[in-house]
Amino acid sequence: MNRKMVSKKLFASGALMAVAIFSMASMTSAAEVKKLAILVPEQGTDFGWNQQGVDAARIVAEKYGLEFLPAEGLGYGDVRPTLRELAEEGASLMIGHASGYNTAAPEIAKETGVPVAIVDQPDALEKGLVTDYTLSGHEGAYLAGRMAARMSRSGTLGVVVSGEPPSWNSQSAGFAIGAKAEKSDIKIIYAVIGPAAYADAAGGRRVTESVISAGADIVFGQGNGSSFGMIGAVETTKAVDGGNVWFIDVIGDKSSIDKGHLLSSVMWNMVPVYSAMVEDLKAGKFGTKHYKIGLADNSVQLLKTAHIPDDIWGDMTTLRQDIIDGKIAVDQVSDAQAVRKLMSSVEAGE
Amino acid sequence: MGALLTEAFITSLVFGAITAGVPLLLAGLGEQISEKSGVLNIGIEGMMLMGAYCGFAAAYYSGSFWAGFLFGGLGGAAVAVLMAVFCVRFGMNQIVIGIALTLGVEGLTALLHFFQFSRTYPRLGESGALRIPLLSDIPVLGSALFAHHPLVYLAVAVVFALGWVFRSTFIGFNLEAAGNKPSALDAAGVSVIATRVYAVLSTGFLAGIGGAYMANVGAGLFIPFMTGGAGFIGIVLAMLARGRPLWVLFGALLFGASLALTTALQVAGLNIPTDVVQMLPFAMVMLVLVIFGRHSYLPPALGHPYVRGER
Repeated sequence: MNRKMVSKKLFASGALMAVAIFSMASMTSAAEVKKLAILVPEQGTDFGWNQQGVDAARIVAEKYGLEFLPAEGLGYGDVRPTLRELAEEGASLMIGHASGYNTAAPEIAKETGVPVAIVDQPDALEKGLVTDYTLSGHEGAYLAGRMAARMSRSGTLGVVVSGEPPSWNSQSAGFAIGAKAEKSDIKIIYAVIGPAAYADAAGGRRVTESVISAGADIVFGQGNGSSFGMIGAVETTKAVDGGNVWFIDVIGDKSSIDKGHLLSSVMWNMVPVYSAMVEDLKAGKFGTKHYKIGLADNSVQLLKTAHIPDDIWGDMTTLRQDIIDGKIAVDQVSDAQAVRKLMSSVEAGE
Repeated sequence: MGALLTEAFITSLVFGAITAGVPLLLAGLGEQISEKSGVLNIGIEGMMLMGAYCGFAAAYYSGSFWAGFLFGGLGGAAVAVLMAVFCVRFGMNQIVIGIALTLGVEGLTALLHFFQFSRTYPRLGESGALRIPLLSDIPVLGSALFAHHPLVYLAVAVVFALGWVFRSTFIGFNLEAAGNKPSALDAAGVSVIATRVYAVLSTGFLAGIGGAYMANVGAGLFIPFMTGGAGFIGIVLAMLARGRPLWVLFGALLFGASLALTTALQVAGLNIPTDVVQMLPFAMVMLVLVIFGRHSYLPPALGHPYVRGER
């Protein structure tokens, strides 16, 4: 091998290394954000998780002048083809708005180089590529628990969930902690519809009916489509004392379709979170931190309905301020086993 | 724990078990008809889902649960027409077409729901129960077992009717021949294609009614993807039942009871992981499969398209 050839090879390998270093650096540096995509398992019209996600992403896209690419009703299966399509369409950021997407989305991010945001996997952060926004409305759920304990006639509350992702666990726990802070002898019946029964409306109704017949007169329900089954149950089932059963929802506002049983909702606003993601992407800080929602910036709020007496609402407003001021600390409990230990329906083995 | 074992709670659990079991029963019976004739109807999940959508829409707009069940059945049968055309008439792969139909129906019903119901999420009221005199007055279990929508009793009647059809009528013999030795049926002058088409349409109709029951009575509304694999459970039940409708009934009730038991265990206070509790219905089916599955009856021609003269 002569000297000329060696020097050519050295030059070529040096150039290749330079290109590699430059491309790696560009992945973690500031990026131009043009298109914002969000993927959701159900239609963004569910008055809950999907709708709040899509609506927030749309607002953020308008706020930053981005083209909005929503992909709705994708179900809970493999979303890799959709992620690839969105990447090919030029998405600058893809938000995988379902815990079921947190395996596929990082894979496609690495494959295409398009940053993704996922939920329920806080340890998946990767600078420039993957961020996590496992949100928790536990402070709002705490207020809901205190209010429910005040308003319950039977002294028994129900918590019905269609799965046990960290976000919902922390709200179930927040609700139980709040209820017990209000009345230490309150009973809480906890029931999971299924391992991932998000769309199981029939299951939601069946389980909620059983929880009501076991004595609960206020049900704190967490589900996507299945929450409509829970609402169906409170609308058609009387409490053990023959009176009305109240429902406390999460994430969205179902007031417009309420038939007189919606007591409140722990509402989430994801606009601050998605805005922060876009800002971080522009600043080259994407994938370096977690995002939170809370009472302080009103990204978590307790829905006020006409069914809540004024004096109780006034007390909740005071408690909210106490939490913001740090006078009350609400633990964030995300582990399913720890959540169950907070529920009084779980007795054996404790 | 004892305080929870009230009459109201037990009644609710048993009632819920039957409500959860009926869609599986109808789907399992439908699948049994298809499988007897030699068609592995994987598309039954899609047929149930279409039945759920059509059944709910019909009940909501007409105000009649019976209209809901009728249109639910017709919706399921409409999907079955595609299965019959592609798999029976054109001999295409039954598994591939079945999966494709299910995925297609999932997308279509989600789209229809989006345009029709996604802003209002209408719910149906009480379905109305037929209380069987004397029996429904039995303490604790009476109202749970004998105060259901009349369709529940009809579904049980279909079990016995189907048993009679399979055992004692030419329709039953033709179905069995189409699944066991279709060439013999053909040689006897009976159309294998027609026999299988009728079988697949019957499957779609029954599965559709099952889906409509799930939407109208079980949930009181329609939600995209709401069948959540019930059709596939129906396939398992049909295979385990070895061609006997009564076994489908037992299997469906067992599954429904297991679902109710998962709720009971959680509410009554066992400190074990929910995942373990939630496995119960599926573990129960697997246990039954292990015990009885070795002898499960599968027709020799199951899954094979019939082509005259082909060996």
